Amino acid sequence: MVQYNFKKITVVPTGKDFIDIILSRTQRQTPTVVHKGYAISRLRQFYMRKVKYTQQNFHEKLSTIIDEFPRLDDIHPFYGDLLHVLYNKDHYKLALGQINTARNLIGKISKDYVKLLKYGDSLYRCKTLKVAALGRMCTVIKRVSPSLAYLEQVRQHMARLPSIDPNTRTILICGYPNVGKSSFINKITRADVDVQPYAFTTKSLFVGHTDFKYLRYQVIDTPGILDRPFEDRNIIEMCSITALAHLRAAILFFLDISGSCGYSIAQQAALFHSIKSLFMNKPLIIVCNKTDLQPFENLSEEDMKLVMEMKEEAMKTVIGQGGEATDEEGVLLKMSTLTEDGVIAVKNAACERLLNQRVELKMKSKKINDCLNRFHVAMPKPRDDKERPACIPEAVLEARAKEAAEKEKRKLEKDLENENGGAGVYSASLKKHYILANEEWKEDIMPEIFDGHNVFDFVDPDILQRLEELEQEEGLRQEEEADDEDMDGEELTPEEREALAEIRRKKSLLIQQHRIKKSTAESRPTVPRKFDKDKKFTTERMGRQLSALGLDPSLAIDRARGRSLSRKGRKRERSLARAGSDADDAMDMDVDQPSSKKLRMRSRSRSRSRPPGEVVPGQGFKDSAQKVKAIKLVRKSQKVRNKDARRGDADRTIPTLKPKHLFSGKRSLGKTSRR
Amino acid sequence: PQGDYIELHRKRHGYRLDHHERKRKRDAREVHKRSAMAQKALGIKGKMFAKKRYAEKALMKKTLAMHEESSTRRKVEDEAHEGAVPAYLLDREATTRAKVLSNTVKQKRKEKAGKWDVPLPKVRPVAEDEMFKVLRSGKRKTKQWKRMVTKVTFVGPSFTRKPPKYERFIRPSGLRFTKAHVTHPELKCTFNLEIIGVKKNPNGPTYTSLGVITKGTIIEVNVSELGLVTPAGKVVWGKYAQVTNNPENDGCINAVLLV
Repeated sequence: MVQYNFKKITVVPTGKDFIDIILSRTQRQTPTVVHKGYAISRLRQFYMRKVKYTQQNFHEKLSTIIDEFPRLDDIHPFYGDLLHVLYNKDHYKLALGQINTARNLIGKISKDYVKLLKYGDSLYRCKTLKVAALGRMCTVIKRVSPSLAYLEQVRQHMARLPSIDPNTRTILICGYPNVGKSSFINKITRADVDVQPYAFTTKSLFVGHTDFKYLRYQVIDTPGILDRPFEDRNIIEMCSITALAHLRAAILFFLDISGSCGYSIAQQAALFHSIKSLFMNKPLIIVCNKTDLQPFENLSEEDMKLVMEMKEEAMKTVIGQGGEATDEEGVLLKMSTLTEDGVIAVKNAACERLLNQRVELKMKSKKINDCLNRFHVAMPKPRDDKERPACIPEAVLEARAKEAAEKEKRKLEKDLENENGGAGVYSASLKKHYILANEEWKEDIMPEIFDGHNVFDFVDPDILQRLEELEQEEGLRQEEEADDEDMDGEELTPEEREALAEIRRKKSLLIQQHRIKKSTAESRPTVPRKFDKDKKFTTERMGRQLSALGLDPSLAIDRARGRSLSRKGRKRERSLARAGSDADDAMDMDVDQPSSKKLRMRSRSRSRSRPPGEVVPGQGFKDSAQKVKAIKLVRKSQKVRNKDARRGDADRTIPTLKPKHLFSGKRSLGKTSRR
Repeated sequence: PQGDYIELHRKRHGYRLDHHERKRKRDAREVHKRSAMAQKALGIKGKMFAKKRYAEKALMKKTLAMHEESSTRRKVEDEAHEGAVPAYLLDREATTRAKVLSNTVKQKRKEKAGKWDVPLPKVRPVAEDEMFKVLRSGKRKTKQWKRMVTKVTFVGPSFTRKPPKYERFIRPSGLRFTKAHVTHPELKCTFNLEIIGVKKNPNGPTYTSLGVITKGTIIEVNVSELGLVTPAGKVVWGKYAQVTNNPENDGCINAVLLV
């Protein structure tokens, strides 16, 4: 289904703007620099390009305009007629035709001037030819600018037309002005049509949608029609006539029986009879509106007669459709949009009639056979005369009955509220259903703050239990504490005591020193450790300290020295060192210093290393050959990464072959011949 | 939204509370924005904008001047008539010294000078190398006797070329025109009329015979469109016109009818 959406037409620029847009585009998108000294073919090409580019742009834009505006002959006759009524078909076609000729003319101009440019032998001549060409194209557009303005206005108006689908279920509302058509559509759909006391408030068609039996119906509100000869009708009335003429819809003819619209029932009946030819083959319902002002029964004799005449006509349409012969209710309905009395009934009647008619038509058409084949409702054939109703267990039936009774019996809080004065007067007691140990506590007020604390922070349902547990624990701990004895002081031996005192003394000394240092640190520069004799990290100091404690430092010193990384020339000195280490006494620091500087007598013990093929028991190799092979395999499969910083196979990628920023743009200074 | 939804909304809900204030302020700011743009816009955009603005300013000045005109009484100026003489010279007889020449003498002089009563009495002479382009021909391209016309030409409808081998002057078909835009000097309107022939090219008789049309050429055009009638009652269908532009530069022939 084509959606008649005219909102997608692009904006039509005015003549002047059009010219500006195209010319500035030409100036921006074609090369701009040209000199007298260039080769003549280059000059010609430069200017020919401009002419062609301009022509192409004009062609493009004019083509979009011509293509996007709907052709009045190609769209549904309803829309064709509506557009004719609103915009005058001839004017519309002429405007589009002019745009078309303009497009062709511009094409011709471009062709001619490109031909002429081939004979241009100087820059000046080519330039003037280009200027003449562009100027001519622009004059063509200038001549056409009134059409452009007209088309822009048409486009703006078309975009606001309601999108009515002419083929789907539609209900059309018609009648005199001010009878209540717009109020009705406001009631049954979400369309927000303006309702005012003056006539011709609605000046164009409005569409709203409503649902009935899971189907969507379009409801179309029309401007009021006056009883005039056809030729005298103005554009607004013609809109509704067009809708009546072309749309296959259910028609609701509104009648104002109170006469408050300013027209009597006689006038309205006259209108009805003059347009009844438009009601052919359409389900027609006559709706008497404004029954709150004038009840239907109190109508005068003549008015009643007129209404009955109209009803007769409407009945004819019913019979003509092959529907039920005497469906009185479906033809003449009374309602009032103010009190909303009977509005839904009217809508339902209209939808029902329309649906029936459409279904009938579909059944009669040939296409139905394709659909019918796809439907099949299977009903089991009765085997015998035995009745087999639905089987519902007794319990379920009883439950259902009880539920129903209960629903009626139970008193809701809401009912209670309503009885006792309503929402603002009665406040429900929320504590009614509390479950407490003692029923009398229900209405008690709980304090919230006590002694500056929140009561709820201290509330705990298990508080008594917890108290018991705590007391138990407390009891246990007190017993334990009684068992504990003080170990401090009595069990130390004299040596230990001495050592303890020594340690404490030393610690206090360190602390004092640190304090002194800290206090004078800013005024006195600190000596780095390596130059500070007392604090250097040397093995001698370690040895001194150890011997002060009464231990033999030599082994420790050897080990420390052996592990030192700054040892060089191990091989030679090792034997010497080994020879010398046992004999030397590490205590004598000054003797050692110069010799160790030269020879580094202390050995460095090498970490144990193995030959490559040696089989270590835990590794899982059978023999040395296997291990060697395994090592080779590893080396082959894992290639060491090439860190020579040279390009390899994997480095060959071209991220973008022609990056845009390198190949476009003009240079302010310099040439673009090399990129 | 359908129909006039914007107006409907305005009718129902009115404007925003600060709408008018904001609108007023925005319009006041427009002035400053425009002037900023006028100062900052560069290049072709700036030039076009400046031109538009200048036109607007001129118009504005005129309207202001018009408004400032007051309907006060002004002194009426006493216009002196032609030949009015002050009182002390009244008695003298004025003598005019003018040479009276007869019409024939005048015409003879014009003929001698070569000036006619045409809109463009003098035109810039066109040199031969500007008019013709030398075409080399022959097996070794050494012969240079062929010439191609670089200006717009007119050849009649019954024109057939000479055999190409003997053709000395080549008039390319792309530069052949049949129609001219002829302006009537009194009616001031322009018609697109067919050319009947080239009467005279001021640069020389060779060009006339070739049918070359340059600025100042007299051409004969078919004016049956205009519906002119002689006093005798005969319909005029051919008239002379003078070309007023350079057709090879503009791609069209603009001429003025010689009435």
